[in-house]
Amino acid sequence: MPKTDVKQGTLALMILTTLDVLGPLHGYGIARRIEETSKNRLTLNYGTLYPALVKLEQEGFIKAEWAQSENNRRAKFYALTAPGRKQLARERKEWHQTAHLIAAFLAPRSETT
Amino acid sequence: MSRIRALIARVLRSGHMEHDLRDELQSHLDMETDEHIRRGMNPAQARRQALLNSGGLTGAAESVRAQRGLPWVDSLLADIRYALRTLRRSTAFTAVVVITLGLGIGANTAIFSVLRGVLLKPLPHRDGDRLLYLRQAYDGLGGENVNFSVPEVNELRSGAKSLGQIAEYSQWTQNLEGPNDAIKLNAGLVSGNFFDAMGLSPILGRLTRPSDDGAGAPPVMVLTNEFWMKRFAGDSSIIGKQVRLGGASVTVIGVVQPAPFFPDHVDAFLNMVVSPHHVSAMMVQGRTHRMTEVLARLAPGATLDMAAADIAALHSRMRQEHPDAYNPASHYRIDVIPFKTAIGEKARLTLWLLMGAAAFVMIISIANVVNLTLMRGVRRQQELVVRAALGAGVSRLRRLLLVENLVLTLMGAALGLGLAFGGMRLLIALTARYSPRASEIHLDLVALAFALLLSVSVALLLSFAAFLPKDGALASFISAGMRMSGGLKKQRLQRALVVTQVAVSVVLLAGAGLLTRTMIRLADVPTGLQTEAILTVPVSLFNSAHYDASTDAENKALYTRMQAELRALPGVTDVALGSTLPLRASMMSLNMKAEGEAPSSTGVAPLNPEVRTVGPDYFRIAGIPLLKGREIQTTDQPGSGKVLLINKALADLLFNGADPIGKQLAFTGDVIRFTPLNYEWRTIVGVVGNTKDAGLDVTPRPAVFLSFAQEMAIDGGFVIRANSNVTSLVTSVQRVIQHIVPTTPIGEVMTVAQVKDQSVAPRRLNAALISLFGILAVVIAAVGIGGVLAFSVSTRTNEIGIRMSLGAASGQVQRMIMREGGVLVALGLVIGIALSFFGGGIIDGLLFGVAPRDPVTLVSVAVTMAVIGIGACWIPAARAARIDPAITMRS
Repeated sequence: MPKTDVKQGTLALMILTTLDVLGPLHGYGIARRIEETSKNRLTLNYGTLYPALVKLEQEGFIKAEWAQSENNRRAKFYALTAPGRKQLARERKEWHQTAHLIAAFLAPRSETT
Repeated sequence: MSRIRALIARVLRSGHMEHDLRDELQSHLDMETDEHIRRGMNPAQARRQALLNSGGLTGAAESVRAQRGLPWVDSLLADIRYALRTLRRSTAFTAVVVITLGLGIGANTAIFSVLRGVLLKPLPHRDGDRLLYLRQAYDGLGGENVNFSVPEVNELRSGAKSLGQIAEYSQWTQNLEGPNDAIKLNAGLVSGNFFDAMGLSPILGRLTRPSDDGAGAPPVMVLTNEFWMKRFAGDSSIIGKQVRLGGASVTVIGVVQPAPFFPDHVDAFLNMVVSPHHVSAMMVQGRTHRMTEVLARLAPGATLDMAAADIAALHSRMRQEHPDAYNPASHYRIDVIPFKTAIGEKARLTLWLLMGAAAFVMIISIANVVNLTLMRGVRRQQELVVRAALGAGVSRLRRLLLVENLVLTLMGAALGLGLAFGGMRLLIALTARYSPRASEIHLDLVALAFALLLSVSVALLLSFAAFLPKDGALASFISAGMRMSGGLKKQRLQRALVVTQVAVSVVLLAGAGLLTRTMIRLADVPTGLQTEAILTVPVSLFNSAHYDASTDAENKALYTRMQAELRALPGVTDVALGSTLPLRASMMSLNMKAEGEAPSSTGVAPLNPEVRTVGPDYFRIAGIPLLKGREIQTTDQPGSGKVLLINKALADLLFNGADPIGKQLAFTGDVIRFTPLNYEWRTIVGVVGNTKDAGLDVTPRPAVFLSFAQEMAIDGGFVIRANSNVTSLVTSVQRVIQHIVPTTPIGEVMTVAQVKDQSVAPRRLNAALISLFGILAVVIAAVGIGGVLAFSVSTRTNEIGIRMSLGAASGQVQRMIMREGGVLVALGLVIGIALSFFGGGIIDGLLFGVAPRDPVTLVSVAVTMAVIGIGACWIPAARAARIDPAITMRS
């Protein structure tokens, strides 16, 4: 399966979910996690990932702090904030609804015309 | 606001953030490289792979910066730099715009600050908008404000349910003695509840309270903050100390917070007991003994209308129950006025007039700036089209213009604020004559915001008015050879602006003309005195609190001694003695009746002349014409029959042409018992001319002049004539008096000319300010007319060239251009004169001796404007006439 770029609007949800599941994490960790979860079908270059992080930070959904990483490198760790948690719940719900809706549209027609 | 702050912080932090971003991307790269090495790559390979995956570090950094919003700031800074560069290149344009706007914004900001401080800002009193001022008045001379008597106040207090608290106040002066000197203390005698009712708090000590009321309370004094600073240098140990006031001891109990005091600007407040009169039976029981001002606070839930209705009902009952105290012919009434309105009454008209004039100047200067910008915009059309063609989006260009205009107008605002700051002292001095709130004026944040709002609006307006090529319409511009032309619509706008400028200038000039004529008329009003080179020196030996018969002879001896020593001064030719000197308003007027007249109670308002006392030769020395009879003579001594003189106003009122000499007058009313006067008949021995004592614009009031020697002295002072310049005598006169009566304050020693000048001064300042605005407006408008016409000529150079080569004479061309400008000037003139004619009534209250539609003023304004307008057209017209057809055709 060819690698694809992340769809607009989905990256924020992926980042928030990642931070929700794994707790505070640096950019590299977030990128690895998203690539692994997508079974390497998604690639995240810096130009995609970091602006998204900046935007989430500006919106107040995540906050950043420099700390030591697990293998002793200084790294900037991102963590969910309370508004971020709320936003995640909201987005998650919306995605489910959209997914159901799209699925219903794409399902083979059953009714007769 | 917080967004702006965040933006600024971001710009300031941008260096740090760049660093942070680099570190973060580096750490990402390092961790990924580590990972690759762990999986078995060699370091070089690992690094290469990591870089490959990153998708480019520089690109990533740029995307992050874009997300952060920094480029916006960067390009804004670039725009500002560019704007400054362009403006520096066109110095003349920049200077004219900045100065024009600066004058407009300065005038508006300064006057708005004054207006806000004096009329609009909430009072410092607690719930100041619920305070009321009550005014009892009747028709006729001296009836504008007759105050209240204590029984009236008591009835209002018990009857008016819509008034929560009613406080009493009466104006009182007394000599305050210090260790080395004495000054005249302007005080208010107040009821104990005064400060509570007014909603004022002490900044030191305590204020009066109901237990300070009544004849048995010890006398106490509350200082105003201003007086405490001035007299006691803010020394807090003064609280609890005794001061000597007119021979009695009074305890200072506190200092009240700074606040505007009304109806008088006072130094201190005292309880009623310091004035035996104020706690006497007469004062407390006499219904017509009206010496009290009433200030009140609305009861919770009550409104102004409720209070007015309540008081009207109470007052009508009072008039029914006491017909003798309210002469029906005089139509007694009580006005209920919000305190804030009462305080601003005198200043309101002047200030709104100044605000209007300033707004007019602003209109003219904005019109001018818009015109200049439009013209400059047409000249820059080429530049903008080229920029657009090279790829600058229209919105980017629009923003560039906006930034440029903002820089321009903000520079104007800065200049304006500077001007406003400089003009503030003058305006505060002007306002202090009209309002007790002048000390509350300062350039405040609201005024600053006002100036900023003005400049930003102007900038928006300018950017909107500017020409910009539309996207996609570039080709047509370029193919049309990018010729300069304003376009018909733009030119029509410019012409409309010129017409507006002329019209508004005319209105301002008309106002300035009317006020200037008022001032001149006022200064020309005869004072009633035959000369103005007389020195007048008030010297008050007496306590208004008690007229003491035992010290009277001693006081009179002091006056006689002073008179003798003053007369002995070198240069002095004559000295006369008298109380309440010429051209100074008298505080004392009492009811009188004429011989053979029934006591006034039916139908006519009582006679209420001003009372003054004079010594021998007073009128000759003061230069007041003696119309009939004789002056007071040295033979009019206490033993002989009591005599008096009356002024022409009283003679006309009372005797209607008949000869008053030998007729008799006597004082009436209960009040007399509290004055050093009595009810004896006094014979009229002379009639003197009227003098304008209450102001040059006030009809002279009836007055009587008693003999200084025959009466117990009320007050005193001297009029001094010299054989040379009287003003040079001031210091020696002061020295003589100080030597004889060291503890007595000397009033202002002024010549009659100075007194007169002082009374005209506020009007002169008014006229000067409005004239300044008027001249400003005309200059700006003339620049506007000339500029627009010159521009029109420069766009028509080709056309004019063609006309001339086809045979038009240069005179014809000149006439054509003059006509083009003349039409605009004429149209503006007509509109302006019409506006002045119909709007003139607004300033009627500030005029004296001229009608608001004074034809002389309007005609001279029209002529002035026409001459200036035509002059402004002349220059571009002459230039058009000099156009050389050969040159224009070739270019």
